[in-house]
Amino acid sequence: MRQKTLGKLFPYLLILPSLIILAGVVFYPIAASLLRSFQLEEGGWGLDNYIYFFTDPIQRRNILYTLQIVIVTVVLAIGISYFLAIYLRFSNSWASRMIGRLYLLPRFIPGLVAVNGMITVIRDSGLINRISRLLGMNLQLGLMYNGKGIVLMNLWFNIPFATMLMAAALSKIPDSTIEAARDAGAERFRILRQMILPLTYRDLFVAATFVFMSNISSFTTPYLMDGNNPQMMGISLYTQFNNGHYEKAAALSVIMFLFSVLSAAVYVYTNMKENEWEKGNG
Amino acid sequence: MKLMSPKAFYYTVGKKNFFQYILFGIFVLFFYLPLMNLCMLAFADKYEVPAIIPQKFGFRWWEFVLGQGSLLSSIATSFVLAAIVTAVSLLICIPAAYALARYNFKGKRVFLLSFLLSNAYPRMGLYISIGILFYRLNLMGTFVGVIIIHVLNSMMFMTWIPSGAFRGVYRQQEESARDAGAGPFRTFFRITLPLAMPGIAVASVFTFLGSLEEAQGTLLVGFPQVKTMPVELYGVIMEYPLTAGPVLSLILIIPTVLILFLMRKYINADNLSQGYGMK
Repeated sequence: MRQKTLGKLFPYLLILPSLIILAGVVFYPIAASLLRSFQLEEGGWGLDNYIYFFTDPIQRRNILYTLQIVIVTVVLAIGISYFLAIYLRFSNSWASRMIGRLYLLPRFIPGLVAVNGMITVIRDSGLINRISRLLGMNLQLGLMYNGKGIVLMNLWFNIPFATMLMAAALSKIPDSTIEAARDAGAERFRILRQMILPLTYRDLFVAATFVFMSNISSFTTPYLMDGNNPQMMGISLYTQFNNGHYEKAAALSVIMFLFSVLSAAVYVYTNMKENEWEKGNG
Repeated sequence: MKLMSPKAFYYTVGKKNFFQYILFGIFVLFFYLPLMNLCMLAFADKYEVPAIIPQKFGFRWWEFVLGQGSLLSSIATSFVLAAIVTAVSLLICIPAAYALARYNFKGKRVFLLSFLLSNAYPRMGLYISIGILFYRLNLMGTFVGVIIIHVLNSMMFMTWIPSGAFRGVYRQQEESARDAGAGPFRTFFRITLPLAMPGIAVASVFTFLGSLEEAQGTLLVGFPQVKTMPVELYGVIMEYPLTAGPVLSLILIIPTVLILFLMRKYINADNLSQGYGMK
């Protein structure tokens, strides 16, 4: 009997250290921050901190601007990554092998280094401009201090990550399955649409969720590349904090968190659905 | 010039090869040109418009950067910190990863989701709130405080990736060891752990490199007592972005590239992406 209770408790014992850390530096701080977001600067409690971010024209524009950049980033990054991952999986050419060896490195490059490198290439007196002068043009890319440069940089960070997730998902589809479909006379596009896509759509959503979450609160990229107005929410949060508006900073954190949770809900939903389906099959 | 024209190139290499070259070209230009440009500029003493290659190469900015006294000690701090963080994170997360892979228990899904929670909350907001807590606990500006922040950042990978690796170890192998008379601990350390090693190694690399480059949290919680390499470097990059920036960037990525090269056997998409699905 005692053995049995111990056996039941054993997994909890294993996760206990993780739980203690999570409770101390995730659950408690988030709860405290949530509480603070309802505190008013002049004392008392209320929703004013939240109302401020949705009614103040500058703040509202910041939120819309951030969402716009993040959604464009997610769509482009996922689309390009899916194409790249399919190419890596099914092509056996030298280019595919080389890219397969090289595409993971950016994942490990410190953010500041990458942003700095990109700026030396795309700024108005950067490498591309200098090369264009050699060819007799004076190409001004206009990618600095606006949303376009940020999307470009986000793609640099997120395409390797999303491609990695897709590549792992695609590697689980056995060659024999594809060959069987091909032998049965299905053309390429049909194999993609009716076979590969259904088998990997869950991983598409997983990647999209993580790309969304990591970009909505991004700081380094907009800090170095963006203009002053409109600002991305990560910068706006930093400004609130630096000016001593701790309650407003907390409220903005919660707002950003809710956007992330919304995108995570898609992830959880697609995962649960898959699990139900698996149960049905025994 | 005729040889350089795209049309001539197309007919020389053939249709299929042409697209391979184009794709590979775009890939390298987009992902590696910024890094290569940084490497070149790190050795530029004079680089004025419209030169593409610096007018004068030299080590002027290296001398400047390495002359910033505290840099060498901050590099040492960073490596010691990263090693401790990796060890602590392994001790905390490997048991949890094993539990997730091998047991079904109530609250498992909630536990998995809580990692997502820590990732969904904006980092800066979380650090601010942790900072307030650390003030009360007298952990502000301490080494321990910084370690806790770095461990927190590593927990998701350190749990998810090894958990996937443990799941990949066949139960039959463990069972046959038990049948041969090995106890549960011996089975774990002699059979399960070695078989899951690739995943654990990748997660450790992730944690080590993540700790080496972490700046935001260290700055908020550890400054000015705990100065790591990136904290020091970020300060200089903000001040001299176009001149000292490339040198510092190079110093920051040398350890990354070296470690990745040494661990290249383990670094692949299958190992890295374990755990993102929630099963």
